[in-house]
Amino acid sequence: MADSVSSAAVAEFLYREARLLDTRKFGEWLEMFTDDAVFWVPAVGMDRAYTTDPETSLNFIYISGRAGLEARVFRVESGGSLASNPLPHTRHLVTNVLIDSDGPSALQASANTQVVAFCEPRGQQILTASCEYVLRKESGSLRIARKKVMLLEYVIDGYFDFFTI
Amino acid sequence: MKANGDLRNRRSFADYIDDRPERGIFRVDRSIYNDPEILEAEYRNIFEANWVFLCHESFVRNPGDFFATHIGRQPAFVVRKADGSLGCYLNACGHRGATLVTARIGNTSQFVCPYHGFCFDTGGKCIAVTAPRTGWSEQRLDLTEFDLTPIARLDSYRGLVFGSLNADVPTLREHLGAACALIDIWVAPAPQELEIVAGFSIYETACNWKIMHENGPDAYHAPVVHNNFAQAVTYREKRETRAGVTKTDTGRLIGRIESASYDLGNGHTAFWHKRRDPEAFPIYAQRDELSKRFTPGQMEWIMGRGRHMTIFPNLLMNDLASTHLRTYRPIAVDRMETIIWCIAPAGEPKEMRAARLRKFEDFFLPSGMATPDDVAVAESAQKASFAFDSKWTNMGRGAEFRVDGPDAAARELGMSPKASTNSWDHEVSMQGVYRRWLELMERGEERRRG
Repeated sequence: MADSVSSAAVAEFLYREARLLDTRKFGEWLEMFTDDAVFWVPAVGMDRAYTTDPETSLNFIYISGRAGLEARVFRVESGGSLASNPLPHTRHLVTNVLIDSDGPSALQASANTQVVAFCEPRGQQILTASCEYVLRKESGSLRIARKKVMLLEYVIDGYFDFFTI
Repeated sequence: MKANGDLRNRRSFADYIDDRPERGIFRVDRSIYNDPEILEAEYRNIFEANWVFLCHESFVRNPGDFFATHIGRQPAFVVRKADGSLGCYLNACGHRGATLVTARIGNTSQFVCPYHGFCFDTGGKCIAVTAPRTGWSEQRLDLTEFDLTPIARLDSYRGLVFGSLNADVPTLREHLGAACALIDIWVAPAPQELEIVAGFSIYETACNWKIMHENGPDAYHAPVVHNNFAQAVTYREKRETRAGVTKTDTGRLIGRIESASYDLGNGHTAFWHKRRDPEAFPIYAQRDELSKRFTPGQMEWIMGRGRHMTIFPNLLMNDLASTHLRTYRPIAVDRMETIIWCIAPAGEPKEMRAARLRKFEDFFLPSGMATPDDVAVAESAQKASFAFDSKWTNMGRGAEFRVDGPDAAARELGMSPKASTNSWDHEVSMQGVYRRWLELMERGEERRRG
């Protein structure tokens, strides 16, 4: 991007995202995304490779536009979802942060994550992923234009949502 | 571990089902969800003694294509043989029993065991062993000793492949019975054929398989458990404009709508509900073309009715939130594995396919906005099944609305269910599931006793 962003700044940005999820400040977390943001968790095919084209193949989650993410937040905070009530507590571990490319209007970064979720009925769940981000600057602040989460444990024990990955 | 103190007094499986139709009473003893001995008997008498769903034919379209799965406890794989016919073999090398097929899906001209290198053709014949001359005399080496074990029966209906480890079963057509009319309209709208869309999901749930199997025909829970789904998509659709096929029809979750449910016989079930917004479904775009090929009655089923069907014991298909096919198996008395695919008419326009997928991801999958709540309820019911002093699970709802045979809607389709009721939220079809369960458990034990 024109005023270059250091990898330390990108890492701090991702740590802040993680903390907002862990502290359940989902409203502030949503503000980190652009209005047209894509949130994508590909599924795998029966050949055990991640699906690559959301228009023609199935995904765990494919949301285009922040309203779709807002609906997910609305649901888990509504109290009406048994799977989200009680809401599991999480600890996001974010590591291996790298800037992969830096273009004129956006940069691409990647990170590995491991998220430990715990709630009393189900106990502990650990989901590990490699994440790819497209970050843009909007009115001086970094925003997430795209977040792609590739889960290691694609055979799911129970269920997961945006805040447990 | 004995789950319940009075197991030693068990006389028959009939003790677990309190079925008194004259009084409209139907109850199931909850220890069938947590008793390991019951699961052993179910493996023996249900999953490994009758037709079970294996896969879709598109997984094994060309010679050498294979798909690995399970029949009850037993690992098996389906393969398209060199002569074009289908085979299904237990997935254990005929020599020392290593797992022969380790991929879930693939294509090969021969299967090579990873342990000692024995080779098998797609017809299950052992065609080569490692170092034959230094281990056997020429007279003694008989490769047929190592041939793979085929399953007893294998057949398909409209692309759905079923198998049975027991030869003494009726034909697949007889087994599916009334369900065939429903399967026909699932497959028929496809201009070419039904496609299993790329990408799938496997998830494990900490409950007995029957709790989730019951949740299929149970529409009574939908407006309760999935009210939050309806609220969430309503919230979303206030914040972004959606039209046509990108809209979500939540009519079934927020208010009374016309519906019906069916005991299809042989433990199979179905229900439908009237769609409030048929335009929200991808198939709507094909209505002109389809109306040339189908009767008005069939068109009402295809366009106007959300549909759900379970084939006992391990197949679920529905066209409610989106179009889906699911199979499942018990892996322990309190644990099950579910595999789920999106199904679609092959060759549908790209924007219809994308809309179908987004609807699917919204509702289903362990990451959807509805399936996790089904899983959470099922797991809570598993825990509560240990409340032995409150031992009956009650499935009597709608008993007085039961009529033998088809209702008007079923007649439109040419479907002949065992019984119909006038609401999708009745529990009558579940009674059919447990009557079949009991029939198979008793028949299996009789066979065992000789």
